[in-house]
Amino acid sequence: MLTIYGTLRSRTTRAVWTAEELGLPYRREKVAFAASVADPLAEDAPLNTASPAFLRVNPMGQLPALEDDGLCLGESLAICFYMARKAGGPVAPASVAEEAEMLQWAFLAASTIEPQAIEILYTFMGGQADTEGGKARIAAAADKLQRPFRRLDTHLESQDWLVGNRFTVADIVMEETVRYVAAAPGLIESFPALKRWYDRCQARPAFQAMWAMRNAE
Amino acid sequence: MTAPAAAITLYGNLRSRAMRPLWLLREMGVPFEFVPVIQAYRLADPSAPGAPFNTADPAFRALNTQGQVPILRDGTQVLTESMAITLHLARTRGGPLAPANAAEDGEALQWGFVAISALEAPSLDILMTCDAGRQDTPDGQTVLATASAALMRPLARIEQHLQGRDWLMGGRFTVADIMVEECLRYAQPHPPALAPFPMVRAWLERCQSRPIFRTLMQEREAETL
Repeated sequence: MLTIYGTLRSRTTRAVWTAEELGLPYRREKVAFAASVADPLAEDAPLNTASPAFLRVNPMGQLPALEDDGLCLGESLAICFYMARKAGGPVAPASVAEEAEMLQWAFLAASTIEPQAIEILYTFMGGQADTEGGKARIAAAADKLQRPFRRLDTHLESQDWLVGNRFTVADIVMEETVRYVAAAPGLIESFPALKRWYDRCQARPAFQAMWAMRNAE
Repeated sequence: MTAPAAAITLYGNLRSRAMRPLWLLREMGVPFEFVPVIQAYRLADPSAPGAPFNTADPAFRALNTQGQVPILRDGTQVLTESMAITLHLARTRGGPLAPANAAEDGEALQWGFVAISALEAPSLDILMTCDAGRQDTPDGQTVLATASAALMRPLARIEQHLQGRDWLMGGRFTVADIMVEECLRYAQPHPPALAPFPMVRAWLERCQSRPIFRTLMQEREAETL
């Protein structure tokens, strides 16, 4: 059976949410970040990103990873699209044109949004959001997010979802990237159509179920 | 999925990310039209009369408001994002450079995202530092050191993957090699970044020895816009 490796305190959330929306049967193997394990290589250590058994699945040692019938994949966005193609249905691309459009959004998310979003998230997680340096990093990242957020906002003014007038894997990967910005007050809110779409995504039962699992983990 | 026979128009230039789909199209032998567009920031006055067709031109902006290159027009569809464009062309036009099955589809996507999320940004930092002649300044040295450090993990992973392999997937040159090479090429002006990775360097040399790549680099040198 298709296996998703990772903890829900990582980009594994997007893979699990995608599998749930697709109704794709999968098994999840919990993998902790090595940094959160006292002695990651100890014999009784829980499976973690430094475990040789995990590195055989993903030599990058990153989460999530996927294993399906001998195929091992890393990169969360590639994993989401792989599962969508495998399962088909309304959440997956319905044509090559749709797939191209969805990939366009995914690469925009990966190249333009995620690095800035992670910068903001880590600044908050590191408790530096109120320091001078932290404020400057957040402001610089927020500045770089203006262009892609404006593009998304404009696009979403006239439609509820990114592609095909229905909820798809493109919405999942974009929301999961935008979500890392949520720690910065007012940033998403300053783009009203983007904010309405963001709330629509998170109102999905499969998101709610994934989020409950995450919070329990 | 079936290949549409729609006309392909690619907008960009040889000193831009348009190289990715351009190289692929040439390797695939697919007919297409190439419309030279220069980045507006490379021009002193992009709106001057007689200025070359550039990304600030209203006619270009009408295609896509982002004003970035490359842009692909495939029939009636207009696409941005060089990697999405490149993967789309491979998947729709097929042939040996394209993924051959579902597993390769997944692998090609994985390499595309490795290139974008782990390789492109530090490699571009290296390129811009060296292009600006700042590699010997204290700031430049810091940028080069930070970028080289950021490349260590993904390059170690590719180095390991290339043990016993000539190409990234399927035992043949594919769209995956083009996407990764085109990002790593930006790191080459700073050889120490690649020094610890002999398999990666040998693979880069294999990619860059391809006749079509060499021809494109000659055209790039000769390009006037």
